[in-house]
Amino acid sequence: MTDATPPSPPDDGRVEITIDGRVHRAPKGQLVLDAATDVGVHIPIYCAHPKMDPVAVCRMCLVQVEKMPKLQPACATYVSEGMVVHTQTGPVATAREGVLEFLLLNHPLDCPVCDRGGECDLQDFTVRYGPETSRMPITDKVHFDKAVPLSDRIELDQERCILCWRCVRYYDEITGEKEIVLQERGVRTSVATFDGRPLRSAFQGNLPEVCPVGALTHRQYRFVARPWDLQRARSICPECSYGCNINIDSREYEVRRFASRDNPLVDDMWLCDRGRYSAPRWNRTERVRRAAVRTAGGEQEVTIEHALREAGRRLREVRDQHGANAIGVLGSVECTNEEAWLLQRVARDALGTSHLDHQLEAFPGLSPEEHALGIAEIEDCSAVVVLGSRPEQQAPVLTLRLHKAQRKRGTAVHRLPSEVDDATVRGITGQRLVGVIADESDRARAAHVAQLLGAGNTEVRRLTVTRGVNGRGCKDVGLLPNLLPGYRPAPGAGRCGTEILEATSAGQIRALLIMGSHPWAAGAGVALTGALNAADLVVAIETVPGPVSHAATVLIPGHTHVEKAGSVTNLEGRVQRIRAALPPATAAPSELRVLAILAAELGCESWPAETIAVHREIAAALPAYAAAGNGGRAGWLVPTQ
Amino acid sequence: MLAAQTRAEIERARQRYPSPRSAILPSLWAVQNELSWLPPEAMAEVAELLGIVPSEVQAVATFYSMYFKHPPGRHHVLVCVQAACALRGADETVAYIERRLGCPSGSTTADGMFTWESTIECLGACGGAPMMQVDHHFEENLTPERIDAILARVAAEPATHHGPGG
Amino acid sequence: MAEYRLLTRDIGTEGLQTLPVYERKGGYQALRTALKERTPDEIVEQVKLSGLRGRGGAGFPTGTKWSFLPRDIFPRYLCINADESEPACFKDRYLIDENPHQLIEGILIAAYALQVRHAFLYIRGEYHDQRLLLERCVEEARRAGYVGERILGTDFVCDIIVHGGAGAYICGEETALIDSLEGYRGQPRLKPPFPAVKGLYGKPTVVNNVETLSNLPHIVGNGGEWFKAIGAERSTGTRLWCCSGHIERPGCYEMELGSPIRELFEEHCGGVWKGRALKAFQPGGGSMQVLLPEHLDLPLDMDAVMKAGSSLGAGAMMFMDETTCLVNVSMRLVDFYHHESCGKCAPCREGTYFESKLMHKLEAGVATLDELGTLADICANMDGKCFCPLGDTATWFVMSAYRAFREEFEAHCGAEGCPVAREHRPLLAGHA
Ligand SMILES: Cc1cc2nc3c(=O)[nH]c(=O)nc-3n(C[C@H](O)[C@H](O)[C@H](O)COP(=O)(O)O)c2cc1C
Ligand code: SF4
Ligand code: FES
Repeated sequence: MTDATPPSPPDDGRVEITIDGRVHRAPKGQLVLDAATDVGVHIPIYCAHPKMDPVAVCRMCLVQVEKMPKLQPACATYVSEGMVVHTQTGPVATAREGVLEFLLLNHPLDCPVCDRGGECDLQDFTVRYGPETSRMPITDKVHFDKAVPLSDRIELDQERCILCWRCVRYYDEITGEKEIVLQERGVRTSVATFDGRPLRSAFQGNLPEVCPVGALTHRQYRFVARPWDLQRARSICPECSYGCNINIDSREYEVRRFASRDNPLVDDMWLCDRGRYSAPRWNRTERVRRAAVRTAGGEQEVTIEHALREAGRRLREVRDQHGANAIGVLGSVECTNEEAWLLQRVARDALGTSHLDHQLEAFPGLSPEEHALGIAEIEDCSAVVVLGSRPEQQAPVLTLRLHKAQRKRGTAVHRLPSEVDDATVRGITGQRLVGVIADESDRARAAHVAQLLGAGNTEVRRLTVTRGVNGRGCKDVGLLPNLLPGYRPAPGAGRCGTEILEATSAGQIRALLIMGSHPWAAGAGVALTGALNAADLVVAIETVPGPVSHAATVLIPGHTHVEKAGSVTNLEGRVQRIRAALPPATAAPSELRVLAILAAELGCESWPAETIAVHREIAAALPAYAAAGNGGRAGWLVPTQ
Repeated sequence: MLAAQTRAEIERARQRYPSPRSAILPSLWAVQNELSWLPPEAMAEVAELLGIVPSEVQAVATFYSMYFKHPPGRHHVLVCVQAACALRGADETVAYIERRLGCPSGSTTADGMFTWESTIECLGACGGAPMMQVDHHFEENLTPERIDAILARVAAEPATHHGPGG
Repeated sequence: MAEYRLLTRDIGTEGLQTLPVYERKGGYQALRTALKERTPDEIVEQVKLSGLRGRGGAGFPTGTKWSFLPRDIFPRYLCINADESEPACFKDRYLIDENPHQLIEGILIAAYALQVRHAFLYIRGEYHDQRLLLERCVEEARRAGYVGERILGTDFVCDIIVHGGAGAYICGEETALIDSLEGYRGQPRLKPPFPAVKGLYGKPTVVNNVETLSNLPHIVGNGGEWFKAIGAERSTGTRLWCCSGHIERPGCYEMELGSPIRELFEEHCGGVWKGRALKAFQPGGGSMQVLLPEHLDLPLDMDAVMKAGSSLGAGAMMFMDETTCLVNVSMRLVDFYHHESCGKCAPCREGTYFESKLMHKLEAGVATLDELGTLADICANMDGKCFCPLGDTATWFVMSAYRAFREEFEAHCGAEGCPVAREHRPLLAGHA
């Protein structure tokens, strides 16, 4: 009864299968659909989805398998020794045409006004394999309500739905929320929410990407653009430290949407709504566009060269009169690794101050172990402890990985309050590998919990949810007062972000070099205004107008996440590239060149100013980054098993 | 919104199965027995009692043809028009009942006494065709006279929506 | 070979539905024998030996099906399929109405043979009174010590849970039945894994039909050898025939397998009513292909009828006289599958809808010959492409009728109304 597989000598865990004459040794348990992809044979699909269990309901993938009386769905048929598959024969072609006629039977054929036009599998496969005409009179078609809002983000056109079950399985298998289900049966079947109530999920934005047709669409993106006039840049979501891979689709110098870009080790092709729908924010028009110098006489626009010369001169003055430690350097979590690297070099090598940071909070005793657990390794854990709700608030897609681990690998997920009592923690016993996930602000507790769990032969790995797209990278490359690149202890009593601002207000620090204040400016409040008022000198590289740009003695325009290239490091230490999706809103050179020129003004000649060159310098200094390359994890932070 | 006794019946059903979810159909029958149909609030309550999400109950409830999504009349008449019955005059039976009740298949009489419909689903009494079910009881070998008698008898009885649960 | 009353032997006995009367007729003796004198494996062997084949439609050898259960995985479950919704089938209802304890005894024997502690009896929602009857009988049996703990003083434990459906033909398909029983939409599952390996609640499960199980007391009571001698070579035992349509005496008749269909038709059904001639008949139920008068001499033998291009399926026999419009009958059957399609797979969901639209046009005499061709096309695109047999079988009767009565189908095209009805109006008059 079961599909018995005769053992294949030699048993290398593979079986020999022939697809359209191409012989292939496929791994046991592989689906014919995937085996076909491996040998470069295309099989059209609708219900099959790489991240979901097979259901074989659309019947689009029917293929001929020798010795089997009926055509078989490639998406649900497993390879077996000696299996011979045909995808190009008459019966297969007829079946495909037949299935397409069925799928189009009750379809409104409204492609011209459909947002999916141009990236719709129904459209594409119909052209390739479908019937020329519909034999179904329009008047006989089943009708459903069109353009039904399922929430403020998602719209459903039931008439376009081909009932592939993907959205239903998404809510069942991927998020577990079961917000969308099937209702009624037969040709009256439709997808629906309970009693028509709106979707509440924080992951709705994935639905239009899961839907193979134009049934589920983004309300934000309605009629915005056709795929063929979009420019696409491969980048990383700027919203948090999780490092979801995205495509930034732009048109006419404006970001139109963030689309997911599957990285199985990180996002597993899912984005959270906070990240996805942040796209339009990057089109804001109020920006710092020109360099300026502010004197008693007021503010005047100047050339970049002039501004930098002025900045260099004034910084040297402060250093000569009050010493290097009268200068504070503040970057931000939005600095790329390269920017953070050069900024800490400017601070340490060019200015010689030990007061530098990338955010306000202090990080006493930050250690590599805090980042040992990899995102994908969550699935290998027999249990995972999540401290408080912050981790999943900070990095929402983490929730989906936890659900996957639970569902596919039986991982026990314990969501505990961050001030959990020891007894509860000790209750979690007999584990092979336990993950402990906590937000930056719960590092101490996480360390304690990990130590409690570590008893016996249980291995414990921690993952700290850092803040901001590159909070982790800034720490790795040492944009910190207390740690040098690679977490080596730094000499001197450097001050953290808050302390720098306070010391400035107190007059101990006379000059500030600030690069990209907006991630922390709002949180700094009076400490910041006090500092800006007290400081003799504020050199600022800013992207958007704000307290810092307004108070800056020397102001230099900066570049936003979607305008610059470089690398950022996610919370698990994965070094990933970002690329410019829009031309810069300013004529100013890149932050890297700006810093290199500033260094020169401060007497340090010929620093690298190109992303690649700076990255090589980091790699040379940090073997971990050399090993990580592009897309790998900074390995030295992973304990060696 | 459900009566204590209905909730108790649902709880008993839950105990009968290795998995609480298995009690959905019996629970929905219990609800229909009490309320005569399945309002969304009741589905939500069933979900809560079985520890699942309301949308799952809706998905199941709408799949089956015997649950009412709208309030029906006091009595329910179901006439089979599948082939075996049709061969023995089911169409004439349907025509007669429509005349007799004065409203089309799928509707409820003005006085709210009868909700009736002809169904293409074979009801398993082909040996006694033409046939109908009145409040889930089989009535076979129908003739206009028998139909009159049955409807008169039932009209005198109290409302009943009992399904396999009741 | 002739009428052979095995399952229906005692039917007609006053009060057979009550335990005392059933016991007086020798009821529950076979269960006693099984529990006290046979090991579970011995019973599986007897059932294999008997050659009993499933009565639910597929005709799969019961003993063989049982032996597919993995040896050492427990718990295991038994599902009794009383969803009987196949058009023109009413034998299971008859067996429940007339001899419920015979079924319960059969269930217990199967449960013992398969070492099952929970047997779930899935009965279609429309069989409401039958469900109440079964519940009453199970309680009766429980009080008498046949159901529950330490049955008949042995350490055999078994409970029978009667589970009412709510109106869905597809729930008769074994994996849909399991999904429905688990509390999901009753839609078929992917196979493999088959229920025997991964069924109800993910555990090894056997699904058997009411009539199949009703045979067990007789097999255990008289031995597999004895049973094997009844009926035909590869179709052993008897079967209940649900006879309907244009015959003098519609009803359920038990006949030995292998007897000629003609005997059932003429002696039991009393031939075509009103002295008319037979035009065609459908064996097996709504899913099966049409047969013609010349097929009356076929034996009631699963394989023989299969060879003739149809099937004994679930034991129905629907007879149609000379006045019958095959397009009209096809239309009703197509409507049934359209109504019952679960909607899971595209070919069945959309295909049955299109089929139904075309059939209504055709019967109304407003379809074109092209549309008749489209109908044949649609059916070809459905048959064998669907997820489960429902969609495939939705095309079988109509296509077989189209082949056998091509002129009649073509005569409907552009006829403005049904030509057959027009011709036979007078004959049809005065039905109900
Ligand atoms: C669409 C469909 C409907 C079915 N309906 C029934 C049914 O009502 N009763 C039944 O016993 N078997 C039905 N079957 C067959 C069952 O799937 C299963 O084969 C049978 O119950 C096995 O029991 P048996 O081996 O004793 O015959 C149906 C199959 C299909 C594909
Ligand atoms: S053939 Fe497809 S749609 Fe029809 S009943 Fe089976 S699975 Fe459901
Ligand atoms: S892709 Fe295989 S059946 Fe849908």
